[in-house]
Amino acid sequence: MKWHRVWAIVIRHLYNFRHSWDRIADAFYWPTMDIFLWGLTSRYMIEQGGSLPTLAVILLSGLVYWQIVWRSQYEITTNLLEEMWSRNLVNLFATPIKLIEWVIAVVGLGLIKMAVTLGFASGLAWLLYAVNIYATGVWFVPFLASLLMTGWWVGFVVSGIIVRFGTRVQTLAWAGVYILAPFSGIFYPIAILPEWAQNLSKVLPTSYVFEGMRKVLMREAWPIRDLITSFGLNLVYLVLATWLFVSLFNKRKERGLAQLE
Amino acid sequence: MVDDVVLKVKDLTKKFGSFVAVDKISFELKKGEILGLLGPNGAGKTTTIQMLLGTLTPTSGEINYFGQDFFKHRSEILDEVNYASAYGNLPWRLTVEENLQVYARMYGVKDRRRRIDRLLNEFDVSELRHKTMDGLSAGQKTRVTLCKAFINYPKLILLDEPTASLDPDIAARVRQFLLRQQREYGVSMLFTSHNMAEVTEVCDRVIFLKAGQVIAEDTPKNLAGRVNATLEDFFLAMARKEEE
Repeated sequence: MKWHRVWAIVIRHLYNFRHSWDRIADAFYWPTMDIFLWGLTSRYMIEQGGSLPTLAVILLSGLVYWQIVWRSQYEITTNLLEEMWSRNLVNLFATPIKLIEWVIAVVGLGLIKMAVTLGFASGLAWLLYAVNIYATGVWFVPFLASLLMTGWWVGFVVSGIIVRFGTRVQTLAWAGVYILAPFSGIFYPIAILPEWAQNLSKVLPTSYVFEGMRKVLMREAWPIRDLITSFGLNLVYLVLATWLFVSLFNKRKERGLAQLE
Repeated sequence: MVDDVVLKVKDLTKKFGSFVAVDKISFELKKGEILGLLGPNGAGKTTTIQMLLGTLTPTSGEINYFGQDFFKHRSEILDEVNYASAYGNLPWRLTVEENLQVYARMYGVKDRRRRIDRLLNEFDVSELRHKTMDGLSAGQKTRVTLCKAFINYPKLILLDEPTASLDPDIAARVRQFLLRQQREYGVSMLFTSHNMAEVTEVCDRVIFLKAGQVIAEDTPKNLAGRVNATLEDFFLAMARKEEE
């Protein structure tokens, strides 16, 4: 492991961020729009006699927490796509870089950009609606860690599929993670889902985090069991997803990385 | 001498299903030697280079760089090797300087600023340093790619048609640069080109590939001598051999 190679990948994408309106919009524009829409929606629901006093906090926390999952998976997949769109994949993997160094770099980038987006979105929620996204207190840290892990394993699964099938499935980079959203209970309790969907939720680590988040915000219970289950599932999925990505990457090399450009 | 060999390829084969793209080719490249890899389109030149870079997994065969097995020591070996192709690209949103900074860091180059300045001057692209890659002409991109290829003071460089998009004047300057690198620093090069005059000028030795097989190997002068004409005539004779 050579950290100068990890850093080279990090600054390559930070330079790209500086020049790309797409990436800047991803980091600031879309979170702003989401916070406007959901903040106003929750305000309207409260005015209409919503019985839940913490409605705004729950909706906006759900929104910002989901950004953590989305941002961390998106960073892995779009950074791979950037190399493919730039026809730089052969140049990149003809250097001494190891796949693990690339993985660490994009995961690190995800952390940096997630911190920026999180700081921005939580600041905006406070500014516009006086909603504190960190109202879960110290619980925020394990929630954050678990959601990051989900983003990483989804990112590796999607990247593996992109490596296997090329840019014709690139829409998965934006849309892939949303398949988890309805079953994660981001804005609503899992209990309102139909039974088959509730069963599906049981194998998703995100459902435990969002349920746990609501329990803390509504001061119902400490979600230790939820967190342990969430971490356990994430760990298993992360190992499997990493194995899948490395296998599909090596399989792709049998046909040549140049074919992806 | 064994120590003089920087690249040794033995029975290298690549099959895509039933199609054999490269068929048990073997060759050696010595320190400070420029070896031309010639052949008609589809002969297996680019496939060979991709395998030598590790971006395409061979079906079978051995690749040894500097006496080390490439498949076991890929990362250490590629620290000393670099590559340029007229058909590749660099991240298009980044400026020329940013791209070179990234690759200089990738190879752990210590004197990055000085190395970048020197290469930009050498390939006459200093004035483009703050331009993004998508604003450059094909020839300018090729020259920046060549800067990238020499950023790490490589001992061995793989060049896939490096002068394909350059005008004759710039192409001549690039050839002079390559020959100077060979003469002064003993850089070894594996070189593909469709410009036979260029191959004659630059290459010490040439391997001729056809349908994935080595069908001739000699100095450009001796190969031309086989048809009592130029290397281009030899190329045409070999390429059309089967068709006749």
